[in-house]
Amino acid sequence: MTGIRAWGIDVGSSTTKIVGVEAGGTMCLHLLEDSEPRAEEQIVRMLQRAAAASGDQRVRPLVATGYGRKLVQQADRVVTEITCHARGAYRALGHGGTLVDVGGQDSKVIKLGPQGEVLDFAMNDKCAAGTGRFLENTCRRLGVDLERLGEVALAARDEATLSSTCTVFAESEIVSLLAHGVGVEPILKGLHRALVQRLVAMIHTVGLTPPLMLSGGVARNPAVARLLEAETGETVVVPPHPQLLGAFGAALVALESVGERPGKP
Amino acid sequence: MQPDVNVAPLPSIPRRRDLARAHHERGGLVAAVLPIHYPRALLRAFGILPMEVWGPPNVDAARAASRLQPYVCSIVRNALSFLESGGLQIADLLIVPHACDSLQGLGSVLLDFVHPAQPVLPLYLPRNPAPEGTAFLADEFRALHQRLAEVTQRTPSESELMQAILDEEVADDLLRRVHEQRPTLPLTTFDFYHLVRAREFLPLDSFVSLARAILAMPAVKSPPKIPIVLSGIVPEPMDMLRAVDELGASVIADDLACCGRRLYPAGRSRDPFMRLAESLLGGSPDSTRGSPIQDRLDHLLGLAHSTGSRGVVFHDVKFCEPELFDLPVLRRGLRDAGLPSITVEVDLNDAVSHQARTRLEAFLEMIA
Repeated sequence: MTGIRAWGIDVGSSTTKIVGVEAGGTMCLHLLEDSEPRAEEQIVRMLQRAAAASGDQRVRPLVATGYGRKLVQQADRVVTEITCHARGAYRALGHGGTLVDVGGQDSKVIKLGPQGEVLDFAMNDKCAAGTGRFLENTCRRLGVDLERLGEVALAARDEATLSSTCTVFAESEIVSLLAHGVGVEPILKGLHRALVQRLVAMIHTVGLTPPLMLSGGVARNPAVARLLEAETGETVVVPPHPQLLGAFGAALVALESVGERPGKP
Repeated sequence: MQPDVNVAPLPSIPRRRDLARAHHERGGLVAAVLPIHYPRALLRAFGILPMEVWGPPNVDAARAASRLQPYVCSIVRNALSFLESGGLQIADLLIVPHACDSLQGLGSVLLDFVHPAQPVLPLYLPRNPAPEGTAFLADEFRALHQRLAEVTQRTPSESELMQAILDEEVADDLLRRVHEQRPTLPLTTFDFYHLVRAREFLPLDSFVSLARAILAMPAVKSPPKIPIVLSGIVPEPMDMLRAVDELGASVIADDLACCGRRLYPAGRSRDPFMRLAESLLGGSPDSTRGSPIQDRLDHLLGLAHSTGSRGVVFHDVKFCEPELFDLPVLRRGLRDAGLPSITVEVDLNDAVSHQARTRLEAFLEMIA
């Protein structure tokens, strides 16, 4: 494959992603792996994979983002996830609005202007509630496959009320609900509701400017989008490859660094 | 990114312990003074060296756990822990201004339960800046004068007191000029605060010399940096300031309780106590003095506009009630005025977290 003009790498807490873009900013290659403890070794290996897959032995220019961005020694520049997700969302969807990014380790609400510029943002970076880790931990406890989590929650006719959004206390509460004979589906729906309500509180801190967009690995969970719509009354737009948006945005920043402007979606 | 403006050797700052020892050897007393506002000149008139206690950071705060509620901020918690671990043994007296409920509570805890070896002198600050507040504060200073006379067994004459006030007014004016001159000073943000915060413990002459040395530094035209205003109580942990430098930003003005809110103008009255009160209440709006939020908002906007700052970083200590009550209104007002802001919440005992740094970094990317 030739024609890749710029690269982005997003070293997240759950997954590590690499995206290559061609002229105009179209995504033309991506790699995704679960993040490993030895991040630097994994980065080298993934960049080698990217080089082999693209035929671009240099994998440059490269912009790094994500919580492990500073570990990417090969990067020409490091940029935060806020900027990269905003850049990626605007290129993918072509409009501003309010972007909710639910990652493995934190969640963010980013207010985008009409040209995709970041106007304001809020981050939940102190507590696992409202993050992918919140869902991961609890689905493990309930013995439900992570990929089916949203589907199972949406199938519930009833909904259990979880009074705590603290991951640790929620787990205790789930054990208690199970012991009282409450089914897995209602618990899962209640769990998603708790997560979404946490996100909605963050949305209110920056103000909701429609349309509402959702990115990050959790955006692949249909229950989150559905409940977010129910809680806000707004349609939720999920861009293609929501999990790759950070790496995509990083690649777009790299593209701009060589004087090329990303086109419209 | 490396800071690039540190082109001048920094004046050295003596250690607190050495200063206290030297002052004792000259027959003077040392006062440990808790935040925020107090009449420095009044203490100097009694030959007392004030040493402010803003925490300090990184002490074992567990010692205070048995006496303070869990929601008390780390400035107060650390101060009590520091005292109980013997860190304030160099002090001959403790002065506790009632800046907030937590500090007022600390004053009561010290007097009623801890009973430290040193006398504890509370200082009540008015929440009303009107003339009645000035008169009240002048009376408070008269009462403090009386207590200091009992502690030191000496009473300065009125002319000695007035001279101490005039000398401090010179130092205050120099400090204000240092703040005004900061855009052209060859100092990183970290180094700037390292130097100006020496006002918290240096003897008058030493500080005046230091301020004059700073003002005499060759002006530099720094490469473009992202100018920001810093607001909050105290710039601790100081590593946050290193992060500001490394991320290509520069604090161009501040609304910090320990710095920018203490650029006191000279008083006007000939009565020394009224003059002290006028000066202290003439500082910029402050949540701990009960200033209206609109005044604080106007002040922040004025600072940002006059310095060309692109945003405001609220660097707040967890559980700081006076600051946190004002915060939502201030941020909304700034947003309405088109000035972005961000909050970074810190604890004096914690290192700057990766998350806090990311938050700051993203904010700087946003306003760059």
